[in-house]
Amino acid sequence: MSTRLEDIQSVTALRHLSEDCQRSLAEVMVRRTFAPGEMIFIEGEQAMGIWFVLTGRVRILKLSTNGRSQALCIAHPGKCFGTCPLYSSENNPASAQALDVVNLLILPEDQTTALMQENPCLVKTLLYLYSERLGQLARLSECLATWTVAHRLNDCLLNYAVSDSPYPVVNLTHEKLAELAGTVREVASRHLEKLAEHGVVELHSGYLFLLQPNALQFQGFEVKHGGSK
Amino acid sequence: MAVPSDVLRGFCPSRSLSEESRRDVNAAAVSLNFRAGEVFFQQGDDFSPLYLVLTGHVKVFRQSGEKIQILAVMHSGGTFGAETLFAHTPCPITAQALTAGSAMMIPAEALMSLLERHPDFMMEFLELISQKLRQFTGLVHSLAFRDVPTRLAEVLLQQEWTETSSGITIPRILSQQDLAANVGTAREVIYRTLKKFEKDGLIQILPHEYVVLDAGRLVQLADKET
Repeated sequence: MSTRLEDIQSVTALRHLSEDCQRSLAEVMVRRTFAPGEMIFIEGEQAMGIWFVLTGRVRILKLSTNGRSQALCIAHPGKCFGTCPLYSSENNPASAQALDVVNLLILPEDQTTALMQENPCLVKTLLYLYSERLGQLARLSECLATWTVAHRLNDCLLNYAVSDSPYPVVNLTHEKLAELAGTVREVASRHLEKLAEHGVVELHSGYLFLLQPNALQFQGFEVKHGGSK
Repeated sequence: MAVPSDVLRGFCPSRSLSEESRRDVNAAAVSLNFRAGEVFFQQGDDFSPLYLVLTGHVKVFRQSGEKIQILAVMHSGGTFGAETLFAHTPCPITAQALTAGSAMMIPAEALMSLLERHPDFMMEFLELISQKLRQFTGLVHSLAFRDVPTRLAEVLLQQEWTETSSGITIPRILSQQDLAANVGTAREVIYRTLKKFEKDGLIQILPHEYVVLDAGRLVQLADKET
């Protein structure tokens, strides 16, 4: 029990809730661990509840009927994902996959409504997280429709970079970056190699350093790909 | 002003509000008329009120330089605004009237106060935001996986339509430029694709409306993934 309360307090979004509310959450939330690459849930299945990331990263993605995938976002520790079925059972609108070993807390679907009715502060927390995601999705829609591939890839590099010494690092493979930017691996690799040639990034297997993050904010490093998708 | 019960329903998807909450939501909602082209709020504004369309059509879009991406077109019963009220981040979208019409509006401050005072209304608002999340997730899917003819068929089918003696008609509220901004392509491509739809016997293009000649095939096309 005490471990679980600590788990809940370690999630940024839940940290400011009252201790009573955190205790109610600790009673019903379940801790789950997934291996890298493992699917946490699949689009179209009945939603199991709301998930919170304790450690590791989770990729939220859409799959097309012929196997292409488009990442919607990567959920980092402290963030939540999964749908919120309030009044009727909903199916998952997207799939979720573990990128690393991930530890998650799930608020089971059948407990959600009662818990939210008792704890308005929890609803407020979810509203905060959902509003934030709505803004991200609006931006992603615009980005997919109106930006060039190079612009989208540069944007992904800036969004997914984490501070590291001596340079910010992006811990994603070319394939994952391509999915986030809505393109294919070959195009992403070509663009990244071009950036490396100009000394903007330094490529390594599975990760890359941003040597000149500021250069990515200009559209100067565009590579002609002959098509925007 | 008294708000008709069906209007309240627009703000409250599950329609299960206490009498007290219902009264306060009614009291906070303001009715207004809008003109074609009127801007309700803009991307980057600090916050926006919550609107419910009663009559007319409103487009919500994102703009980057001269490029515009329409995220949704709202008809009677659709809500927009207050998307990021709780995240304390600027409005992610602009909302502009396509036609004249009328709406109900709850100002941002009044909305915050209602949500604080009425947990049951806060649950309804969470459901509204969840619906928008599902809608935007669907849009990303469509933009990522669907080609222009499929997206155009999808966008046409999302418009408000009426059934007349000549078949299903879709009023031409969206210009070809608007359709292009909705589908994510250029106006010329929309023009060519509409002409192809007409040639293939899917639709007939009239000055003020599209007549759907083969709804089955149009629906089939809208579901296709590339």
